[in-house]
Formats: sequence, structure tokens, C-alpha cells
Amino acid sequence: MNGSNQLRRTKVIRPATFSPLTIVRGARDLIHYRDLLLTLTIHRINVRYKQSALGIAWAVLQPLLLMIVYTIIFSVVVKMPHEGGPYAVFVYAALLPWTFFSTAVTTSASSLVAHNNLITKVYFPREILPLTYVLAAFFDFLIASVILMALLGSYHVSLTAGALLVCPIMLVAVLFSLAMALLLSAFQVRFRDIGIAMGLLLQLWMYATPVVYPYSIVPDRFVFWYSLNPMAGVVENFRRVILQHGTMNMAVLLPGVIVCMLLLPLAYLYFKTSEATMADVI
Amino acid sequence: MYDLEFHSVSKRYRLAGRSSNRGLLDKLRWFGRRSGSFWALRDVSFGVRSGEALGIIGHNGAGKSTLLKLISNITSPTEGEIRIRGRIAALLEVGSGFHPELTGRENVYLSGSILGMRRAEINNKLDSILEFAGVLNFADVPVKRYSSGMYVRLGFAIAAHLDADILLLDEVLAVGDAKFQERCQERILELKANGTTIVFISHDLASVRRLCDRGLLLNHGRLIAEGTPSEVISEYALLGRERNRVEESELVNARKPARVTAFTFLDESGRPTTELQTGFPACAIVEYEVMHPVQHAAISVLFYASGDWTVASHFTTIDLPLHLPAGTGAIEFSTDELTLPPGAYAAGCSIEDDRQQIDFVSKTYFTVVAGKPVRGRFHSPHTWRELRYTEAVSHEPSRTEGDEKP
Repeated sequence: MNGSNQLRRTKVIRPATFSPLTIVRGARDLIHYRDLLLTLTIHRINVRYKQSALGIAWAVLQPLLLMIVYTIIFSVVVKMPHEGGPYAVFVYAALLPWTFFSTAVTTSASSLVAHNNLITKVYFPREILPLTYVLAAFFDFLIASVILMALLGSYHVSLTAGALLVCPIMLVAVLFSLAMALLLSAFQVRFRDIGIAMGLLLQLWMYATPVVYPYSIVPDRFVFWYSLNPMAGVVENFRRVILQHGTMNMAVLLPGVIVCMLLLPLAYLYFKTSEATMADVI
Repeated sequence: MYDLEFHSVSKRYRLAGRSSNRGLLDKLRWFGRRSGSFWALRDVSFGVRSGEALGIIGHNGAGKSTLLKLISNITSPTEGEIRIRGRIAALLEVGSGFHPELTGRENVYLSGSILGMRRAEINNKLDSILEFAGVLNFADVPVKRYSSGMYVRLGFAIAAHLDADILLLDEVLAVGDAKFQERCQERILELKANGTTIVFISHDLASVRRLCDRGLLLNHGRLIAEGTPSEVISEYALLGRERNRVEESELVNARKPARVTAFTFLDESGRPTTELQTGFPACAIVEYEVMHPVQHAAISVLFYASGDWTVASHFTTIDLPLHLPAGTGAIEFSTDELTLPPGAYAAGCSIEDDRQQIDFVSKTYFTVVAGKPVRGRFHSPHTWRELRYTEAVSHEPSRTEGDEKP
């Protein structure tokens, strides 16, 4: 039953070190465990919808209800300037990537703490846990996108080929969510405060992102600092390519992309270093 | 060729105490101050050859679980290096990773992939796993509706189907009913015969003796003996007395009026042992030290089965009023026929004063092996007397009536 001896992998376990090699080793290990990532993601999606009465409708309900509330507040009660179609479409196109980010980060932040029984009993690359939540949130995003299509149709907004640019834009959103998921989940193992602060943090973060208001009203002197938030570039450009015929605003996207590219390897490194003793402190 | 090598491995834990509930502020306040730490394992080196079965024994706190966590990579060493050649399967806690809402079949996929199986591999083994666990007809029932036996069996079946080069075993052999335990043992012996390397960490000394080729003894984080299972097991029995002396010096609460200094089972010739026989005499000695005289003392001896439930507790209060004067003393507990069925057990003993517990010693592990055959849950001491047929029918009705009203 044992495969030929040559095929055996030799694994060496040493005290954790904070070195770039850790990233390479971690990534290789992760590829080895890709089936677990797939199975757990499917499980995540299954379980969420199996236990709830409304099932998959929840994926749509959250951005849809927020859209209705924001539309009432910012287009009926207060007049918020907006561009590229009615306010409902304007805000929904921003709520889609934002809801993805906020769901991905909130759910994954507590992923390790929630699975402490697994972490203290079985080994597998721990990043799989936060990763599955990000992937499950992306699945929700895809479902909720169907509503955007319907909304665009009913308001007679036409899509152009430029709308395909949402793919690279969402890639930035996924990578940034991953970085935050890795950082916050590992941090929460040591400091439970993260779980409590999560709701507040994301609420504030939403107002630092052009979700309910257009990017164009941000004063010029704040633009640089504002665009360091990768989600600002993602949300603004997501909305632009859908509603304004494929024109991108690179000035707001680029700083965020750079932040994201720097943050992701650092977050992974921090995660892998903290993983070594995670089971002792969780 | 070694499948598993430990090179001067040490593991230090921080004594953070409430670490899991600690907040950010607490952490910052303590930042810079060196918190206490202790070495759960210190400079441990050993190797396990390919195809060998190694048993690791030791008292609670000797570092066994830490060793297990290091081998299964759940936690990393503080110093040293561990080399593992091949795929490892850890049967630490069967059924971890089960989700109650999912069906048995779905859980096989979930738990199997957590244990490191590929999807294709699970596809191939699914039927065999469900059959081994005896839940083939319940494959599509959510596991929350399973009996605890089914749950455990399914967990074990998944782990037993991992094509591992190295099998890491905990107390798993003690789960399920007798019939299933037998199948587990068979399966393990089968894997062993196929050349799987086995590392078995247990209190079940009889199983270690039966299953292992070699043994290691851990004490206070250090490797203190290595040899054949029998050699190591007899070292372990001697350790029972040593251990309590060491613990004594570490006792923080010195204001106890009395304390247990040793608890030892003795064999017929009066030597310390960890192996008893069902249906045969058993004898244990509780040694104690009294600092302040205890007026209404009671000493108890308790037996626990795996899973920590108390099987029996015996108190001196019923038969023997005790007044303990200052000094040292000992009390003997003995039974003519041990009623415990074969298995792994732990014993504990305590001293009470007027129903207030003064001292309690950590558990001493022992094994009960088959002596007289047990049919049922325990051996009950009994005698048979053959009665003549005529005597049996000559019972008078008036006599039975009289018996009913004492």
C-alpha cells in the first residue's frame, strides 16, 4: 500500500522563521492541498444556504436591501449627486464589489477562531480557512451580479465590451480581500478585539470608499490619501466600466494596486510565521 | 532508513494562562515584561525506522501530547528539527472536522480532505469507508442523526483508509464497542504487516506491548528510557513512585494538612505494577503525609475508564473511621476479585477531612488484562453451588413470603 519509496516527500519541520522562503514553502504546500481548498469552499457555500430558509436568496438580499435603503436616503430624502444613470443603479454597482469585500473580510477574520477545534487537532495549511471564506464571498458576488444585469436592463442602461474590465478590477478586490483576511484572521487568534471591532471598522471603511457618493466630489487635496485605499479604486472603477462605457480612472486605482501588491506578501508572511504557534494560543 | 527523526527537539510554552481571552490592552500592558514559560519537551532525539511500530508512554504532563502535536505539525518546535519521510496520518481525534448538518457521504469528503486525501482518492474509497464504518445504509443521512457509535466508527474508518506511510495513533483504540475495537486492531495490524510505520502514544500499556516493537518513556519533557516495550513498561511502573516525590517538592499549596505522596499497585510479590487481571486479587497502597492531625479523615480510591468517567469509587468512611496523626502513613486497598473488565484505566486517590477534599493525586494509569473471562460489562465475584433436584423443589411457599417482609 505504500507507494514506491522514491515518491515519498520528506518534510522538515523547524522553528518558524520570518523569511521570504516561508512564502515559497507555504505556497507549495498550499498547491499540495488544493483539493481541500475546493472541498471546503463548496462546503462553506453548501452549509450557508442549507441551514437558512431563504437559501441562496441571501446573497442577493443583502446588497438589494442596502440599495433600497440608500436610494431612499440619498435620492429621496437627500439629493446626492450621482453619474451614469439612476441612483439605484449607481449605488448597486458600487455595493456589489463592496459587499463582496465586506463579507469576505468579516467572515474570514473569525475563520481561525471559529475552527479552533480543527486547528488544535489536524494539520493543513491554515490559510485555507480564511481563503475559503473569500472564495465563498466571491460566489455570492457572482449571484448578486445577476441582479445588476436585471437592474441595468430595467433602467435601459446598455453594457459595452469595456465592461469586461471588471475582471482585472475584481482581481484587485480579491487580492486585497485575501491580504486583509490573512492579516485579520491571524491577528484575531491573539487578540479577540478584532471580532468586536470588525463591524465598526467596515462601516467607517465604507464611508472612505465611494459607495454612496461619487468619487468626483472628493476634494483634490485628499485624492492621494483617499486612493491609497485599494477599495476606493476598485469601487470607483467597477462603477465606471459598467455605467460609463468602459473608461477607467487609473489615478485612483494605481496607488491602491501598489498598496495591495506590497501588503499581500507581507500579510502571508505574517500569517505563516504566526501559524507555527497558532495551536498553542488559540 | 528512518521515517521519522527528532533531532534535539525542544518545545517551550508560554504560561500565559488566560491567553485565549486576553485582549489587546492586556497584551500591551504586559508587553516587555517576560512572562513565565516552561519546556514541555527538552532536547528529545529519536528515530523510527521504516516499518517499525514505536510506542511512547509516560505520565500526564510528560510531554506526550506535545510530541504528538509536533509530529502531526499542529505546532512547531522551539528548537531542533523534525524530519518526516512520507505521508503521515494522525488518528488523534476521530471525527474532527465533521459537520452535523452534512450527510455521512459529504462528511467523508470533508473530513477526508482535511486529513489530506485527494478528491479522486475519496471517490475510490467512499464505499469501502462507509462499509467499514457500517453506515452504508445511512450514507445520505445528516450525521447529527447518527448514534455516537456510528459517528466514531465513521471517523475512524476515514482515517484508517488514508494511504499513509506513517500512522500516528492516540487513544483511538479505546473507542466504540468491543467488536469495533477488534476490527480497529485488526486494521492496524494489517497496516503494520503492509509496512506502515506506526507511532503509538497511549496509556494502554497492554496495547503498547501487543502492538509495538520498541518503546520510549517520557518524563517531564525528557526521554528517559528506550528499549523493548516490556523494558520501558517496567521502567514506567517504577516511575510512579518517583514521580510523586518530584511533584511534592513543586507543590505550591504547602498549607494542606495532609497529602498523598504515592499511589502504587502491587503485584502478588509486592512489586509495583501497572497491570492487573480481571477476577484476580488486586492491591494498591496509598502513602500519605500528615502535617496537621486530621480528625475525620476519609481516603478514597477511584477508577476511571477512558473518557474520564468514574467507574468506581471506594471510600474508607464506610468501613474504617480514620484519625490521622501527624507524620507519614500508608493504607492498603485490596480486593479479592477485581471486577473491572480488560481495558485501559486510570486511578486516582484523595484525602478528605469532614467531606472536604484536602488532596487529590493526578491519575495513575494501569491496564487490566483478561484473567477470568468477562461476559457482559464487568466481572462479578461469584460462586456456584450445585443443588440437588429434590432440594430445589422442596421450597415451601410460606418461606418465600417470609423473605419478602424482612
